[in-house]
Amino acid sequence: MSVLARVFEEHGIATVTIAMVREHAEKVKPPRALFVPFFFGFALGRPNDSACQHQVLNMAFDMLKSPEGPVLVDFPDDSAPTAMPQASQINSDTAPPARSAADEITAMRAFYERWLDNNGGRTGVGLCGIPQRRFRGVVRFLEMCAAGEEQADMSERPASISRHQYIRYCADDLKAFLYEARMEQNKEANEEALHRWFWGSTACGKLIADVAARLNESEDAGLKAIAYGLAR
Amino acid sequence: MPRLETLSEVQRRTLEFFPCLEHESTPWVRPGKPLSQCKVALVTSAGLHLRNDQPFTRDDPGGEYSYRVIPSDCDPADVVQSHFSIGFDHTGIYRDLNVTFPVDRLRELVSRGEVGALSASFYSFMGALRDASGVIEETGPEVAARLKDEGVDVVLLTPT
Repeated sequence: MSVLARVFEEHGIATVTIAMVREHAEKVKPPRALFVPFFFGFALGRPNDSACQHQVLNMAFDMLKSPEGPVLVDFPDDSAPTAMPQASQINSDTAPPARSAADEITAMRAFYERWLDNNGGRTGVGLCGIPQRRFRGVVRFLEMCAAGEEQADMSERPASISRHQYIRYCADDLKAFLYEARMEQNKEANEEALHRWFWGSTACGKLIADVAARLNESEDAGLKAIAYGLAR
Repeated sequence: MPRLETLSEVQRRTLEFFPCLEHESTPWVRPGKPLSQCKVALVTSAGLHLRNDQPFTRDDPGGEYSYRVIPSDCDPADVVQSHFSIGFDHTGIYRDLNVTFPVDRLRELVSRGEVGALSASFYSFMGALRDASGVIEETGPEVAARLKDEGVDVVLLTPT
């Protein structure tokens, strides 16, 4: 957020900003922006590529040497954009999932737990507050949401979190669980293959798309916004 | 991000019409000492927080412009992301937190002597705000004051 750079600098602190949208940086004019040509989600380049990440950081901090600004530097990399197909763009003519979403969770658990072991416990799972060993219950909750059962709820939902917001946390946790399990199961899978697998082949992907479709039927703008952040 | 002309029509138009605040001038501060003597803070708009902290929500009473504190000596395994958007690829941060929140890389720069020190606290906001006024008027200045109190010389800002 280039606006934050301006706020900090107005308070007397020097900033360097990594910018994903060059056109926005040109308008907002943060004091020092390094435009990177990577797809959204890859601000410092390739995951687990320490050399690339240091190259980005070096170029970002090098902008501090400039005597005047604003500074807008282009990262010298013309790598092709990463494709990120959304659910609706993935062929629906793939075979229907062979197992239920709950059974899928159970089947993928060993891969997920190996992922945790191999990654020092790092995981994107952890928004809904329910341990992954009880994700079959999360699946049941989302299945009721997809069926339009508006009273369906989870006792673990904090009072401060609305039900529809909690639906997103549950869905985000299922996504992280399945993607990480798949990355362990198939270490060669690139990003596009992972998205095609999740949205095209898994029961959990279909379930989340079904929940989004149900929420989208509402006239409530808040529910539609949640749906837009689940699948589209 | 890939250049706009390489994106799908929908995504390109969304970005072209995103309500950016246009400015003619730029505030400008130089740290006054080399990076190797600077205290550096990391501030991200990636919607990150500690796993036991409150996730970001659209109906947060503090507004979408609230922020979370992430200690710079955190265990990266404790950091999760609750960003609203699925317009970015989450697989990058699943594989490596540093692709958005380069905490390991910054620690390496300190150990090599290229960065003086890291601030005790890093900060995280929700990005892609269509109305940034809460950040500009309220939470941004609040975090700026905290950074000043801690003697931060340079802030690195990362998106997702």
